[in-house]
Amino acid sequence: MYSSLIHRYCCLGLKSLCVMLQSRLAAVSVTQHLHTSSSLLSKQWAKKNLQLFPPQQLHEPRRPAEVHHSRRQIKYSKDKMWYLAKMVRGMSIDQAVSQLEFNDKKGAKIMREVLLEAQEMAVKNHNVEFKSNLYVAESFSGKGKYLKRIRYHGKGMYGIMDKVYCHYFVKLVEGSPPEAERRTGYDQAQDYVEGLKARTVIHGL
Amino acid sequence: MALSMRRTLVSLHRTCQSYKNVEVPLDLHHPVPFYLPVRTKKRYFIPPAVGLKGKKQWDPVAKARAAGIVIKQENMERPINIACTAGIFDPYIPPEGDARLSSLSKDGLKQRTEQLRQSASSQLAIRKIKEHDSTFTTKSFAEQAQEIFIEAHSALTDFNKEKLHSLVTERCYPEMTRGNRYKTIRWRFIESLEPPRVVHARCPDMVTKGNLYGQVTVRMHSKQTLAIYDRFGRLLLGSEEQPKDVLEYLVIERHLMNLYGRWRLHGKIVPSWAPAKDPIIKTVAIPGPEMEEPGQEFDPLNYEVPKPQAVQWYK
Repeated sequence: MYSSLIHRYCCLGLKSLCVMLQSRLAAVSVTQHLHTSSSLLSKQWAKKNLQLFPPQQLHEPRRPAEVHHSRRQIKYSKDKMWYLAKMVRGMSIDQAVSQLEFNDKKGAKIMREVLLEAQEMAVKNHNVEFKSNLYVAESFSGKGKYLKRIRYHGKGMYGIMDKVYCHYFVKLVEGSPPEAERRTGYDQAQDYVEGLKARTVIHGL
Repeated sequence: MALSMRRTLVSLHRTCQSYKNVEVPLDLHHPVPFYLPVRTKKRYFIPPAVGLKGKKQWDPVAKARAAGIVIKQENMERPINIACTAGIFDPYIPPEGDARLSSLSKDGLKQRTEQLRQSASSQLAIRKIKEHDSTFTTKSFAEQAQEIFIEAHSALTDFNKEKLHSLVTERCYPEMTRGNRYKTIRWRFIESLEPPRVVHARCPDMVTKGNLYGQVTVRMHSKQTLAIYDRFGRLLLGSEEQPKDVLEYLVIERHLMNLYGRWRLHGKIVPSWAPAKDPIIKTVAIPGPEMEEPGQEFDPLNYEVPKPQAVQWYK
């Protein structure tokens, strides 16, 4: 009886140890993803432009040129900027520039300037042959450093008002934009039927 | 003010409770209450930027001036050593048929040896160089110059900065390395088609009269392969397998007054009759001509691209 009790306690002890170990491991991986440097001073995005690739062999396909560009501390909300960034993703540079030119949002004008700057950089510094042969591979916005102010409410109450700033990052790649895969209803139906056919029947006649 | 006075009295009263022989001042007009609320910790947050509006930075210079303290102005002086000249003085102008006459060995060689002897200023310069550098001879120096050239270019392919600085002057270094930091260069010296020769020498002096520099021009004809790849590993110029015959005029310089001066590559002379280089593997847009009237149309069929003048230039 005592041995069984001891056995149970040992099992519990082992389980709790495992859980502790798992949480410690999780903590280690979490700390790796914490923001350790301030995003205003970090030049990680611009450093991607300084990456040197070794010369290609003849049998390898031609590597497309990539340009990374960003603008920091734009006086606009990152959530509002996201809508424009999502719109521009996957478009060719000419299409993106023309769409942003006729967009009424404040961020559209700034985003258009950034895209044109990136195009010029690509042609001048990164050996891109044709300036129209570029497409937007990655485009996203990030939070900038906010200024804090007091917003006065009634009855002596107050709130802390954030003056929002955002960063905008874009990566242009040489070539024509990749075609988005279009799934029709027929494709979905096909997949469903094949799934039904691939079922394994156990304990059947 | 009354509250603060009361607070101090309260604290005094509390301390006096522990000591028996201290007299407690009893004030009938301002009696001390038994219970006083103690201030709680400040919990609200005010952004720091609110209070800073209109505040000026503390200016130590203005305060010192107002106080009458005089600080001696320290001029930040840093001595600079100029180890090379800014350009090529009295450059050598290679004769037009130089590349063609080399095939006719007897006549070409005779002409060129005569030219070197005829040029008196070159002879003077060589004599001056021999005063400062006793081991200098035109024959040995030509070989040395070729070795310096080969070592400098192999250091450029490896991008070994320290070695490159010791083999190449400060004027030549940016010309060699500009724009090459994010490119891969593959260069190979296959063989020398003709033995290198000294064709020209000058001894200019910079700033003061005695500060002598020696500049010697060496002509060399050789086979080389050059391939430049851009940042992404794509071929920009040349090819690695196809060798090319190259006729070059190198200018090698040394600061003669300096005990530790070394012969280093200073530049190259590209003659006006040099053949055009191979085009880059890229399409480049050339800016079009300026239209006189606003409504004038540009006719691309009849337009001739203007060719640059054939001028001798220095790399």
